[in-house]
Amino acid sequence: MPGIGAIGARCRHRPRRRPVHEWESGGEASRASGEGALETAIWSFQFRLIVLGDSTVGKSCLLHRFTEGRFPGPRHAEPTVGVDFFSRLLEIEPGKRIKLQLWDTAGQERFRSITRSYYRNSVGGLLVFDITNRSSFEHVYDWLDEGKMHAEPFQIVFILVGHKCDLETERQVSREEAEELASNCGMRYIETSAKDAINVEESFMILTRDIYELVKKGEISVRDGGKG
Amino acid sequence: MSQKDNESLKEDACEPDENDQKTEETEASEPDGVEPEPVAMTRKRPEAKTSEHVASQESLGHKEKILESSLSDGSQTGWNYWGSWGKSLLSTASVTVATVGYGISNVIEKAETSLGIPNSTELHSEAKDATEESQHFEEGNTHKGEAESLLPISGALGMLSTLSAAVQNTGKTVISGSLDALEFIGKKTMDVIAEGDPGFKKTKGLMNRNSTLSQILREAKQREEQQQISTDVSMATEKKSHYGLFFDEFQGLSHLEALEMLSRESESKVKSVMSSLSGEKLNILKVEVEQLKEAFSLAEFCDDEEEEKRDEEDFTKEITDLFFELHISTKPTKLTQARNSTCELVKSLRVQTVKADKPDEGDGQVDSGDAGQGDEKSVEDIHTLAIRSLAELTAYSIEVFHKAAELFLHGQKEEVLAVDRAKALSQMTIVLCKELSSLSKDFATCLTAAGMEEKADVLNPLITGVFLEASNSASYIQDAFQLLLPVLQISHIQSRTELTQF
Repeated sequence: MPGIGAIGARCRHRPRRRPVHEWESGGEASRASGEGALETAIWSFQFRLIVLGDSTVGKSCLLHRFTEGRFPGPRHAEPTVGVDFFSRLLEIEPGKRIKLQLWDTAGQERFRSITRSYYRNSVGGLLVFDITNRSSFEHVYDWLDEGKMHAEPFQIVFILVGHKCDLETERQVSREEAEELASNCGMRYIETSAKDAINVEESFMILTRDIYELVKKGEISVRDGGKG
Repeated sequence: MSQKDNESLKEDACEPDENDQKTEETEASEPDGVEPEPVAMTRKRPEAKTSEHVASQESLGHKEKILESSLSDGSQTGWNYWGSWGKSLLSTASVTVATVGYGISNVIEKAETSLGIPNSTELHSEAKDATEESQHFEEGNTHKGEAESLLPISGALGMLSTLSAAVQNTGKTVISGSLDALEFIGKKTMDVIAEGDPGFKKTKGLMNRNSTLSQILREAKQREEQQQISTDVSMATEKKSHYGLFFDEFQGLSHLEALEMLSRESESKVKSVMSSLSGEKLNILKVEVEQLKEAFSLAEFCDDEEEEKRDEEDFTKEITDLFFELHISTKPTKLTQARNSTCELVKSLRVQTVKADKPDEGDGQVDSGDAGQGDEKSVEDIHTLAIRSLAELTAYSIEVFHKAAELFLHGQKEEVLAVDRAKALSQMTIVLCKELSSLSKDFATCLTAAGMEEKADVLNPLITGVFLEASNSASYIQDAFQLLLPVLQISHIQSRTELTQF
């Protein structure tokens, strides 16, 4: 049952502070009873997103920009070891906050086997390539396959991210072909720049909203916080 | 606590029609079986109500309540404050049982082993039946059913930290649907628990099952978050001094979870390698694996008898040296930096308390805090800083262990024996725990000095809190350390295989 089934950590519903969801029609909404006040909860869902892509495409920078609002700069360029973590709240619609737990994986080949261990825990993924680096684009398929294979039996919602779009002059991958690849694989495509803060928020927002929609429809099952 | 929470929740309810809600609350428990609300409301629900429902209902939710009411007496009074270790021990139980989520048989097995109860086979096979049942059910309902049945359930979890919760959790997570199976298991597990462990004494032993540590912590964090919310509504300034929240903020939880994943993965690999061997080879390997295990049994680290306070360089050097012995390509910089800034913090707090006699001289403070009242730190501020520092150091320590695990498994091959790594790690654990203990003493000293004017009933809980969280921190670190054992075992097996074509 692809995409279905409760898995520990992928997607977590906020326990004990159930906001009243219009879609949890019937009993649920009314049951929220005395907990109505908790609609102001910090977050109502937690999504675990994994960030994949070749080494040096800027995954960590993207996450730094997204979570801390700053660009670490080239001098920060220590390659990630294994996996690092970031988290942030994202308000996808007024009053509806989602906590994103972001798994920043190492792009280096030697860590590939580590990151494999972590796919299964993610509900969504950002597949990042560098628009100025042709081969990072060509590897997107590999990452995608890997992600799909190791996430089995669950499904990861991916978005394709063309990074470093501030370097337009050095572009090696056209927007059109990236879009084509994305649509072939059923992903959205967005171009971002952590350096100039272009589309960083948007890329996470789009992905989070997409996942949220799937959760709403029940195509992704939710696991509560007590679990993992 | 529960009383208070209840009130504040009610008061703060943003919907005006409080009466409606109340009626809904009572109605809600009637129609469907997967009704999670009774559980979610545990803390708030008065006893009488519970038993009344029990009497009238047969549905799942109420089965659970039976369990709950029979168990909750002890649990609800004693362990209200998360900080108490006793509670988290119990949480382990709940969590241990609930972790799996893949098959009941597995869960039952776990519950059994945790509780040390014999007759496993019978239970096991029955559980399997139940699993099958539940699977049928789930398949039929997947698309629509999942969301509906799981969402409400999810609301209920996390709050449960008693053993009774274990029972509920088991059912809930595993078979989000099948009432019969659930009922059965609930009953069965209940019996099992009641028989095997009337006083919950054995729960302590569960702490060894550290595969679920992150869940304990998460539970704690959630509880804290909720508490915070309920107070937060009116007092945005009421800053959190909750360990779990800080711990998560520093990504300690994430690293711990990831470490657990690696540990579990390694554990099953070790098992499968072992089962593929026989005779001489197996015996050799067994001995070696056993040696590793020994290196992991921590020498009872004695709380240093007022050992002279070591200064910053010592700790940094010690950790760095030990880390070097691991032969991995990363450095514990974050950890040592955090530790050093904590020391700075303690120093500046000392300065403050010395200056406290002359309140007009209010400079030289750390400006990191949100004291909101000049530079002077109140005892609450100091307490918050202390808790925060402890959580930070613990989180970074666990990050270090996690990174180490990753590199043991997948780093470049090094000429280093797993046993030596184990020894270095064990030493490191001791150093870290000592450090935490010594820092907590420093913070307590600061608190005592700063709180001379305070009444004992204000000051004492704060100091106790610091010591408590320090000892919890040490436990977390030790548990995280234990998670490294399977990792080193498999890493040892791998390098051995490479050497000898084992």
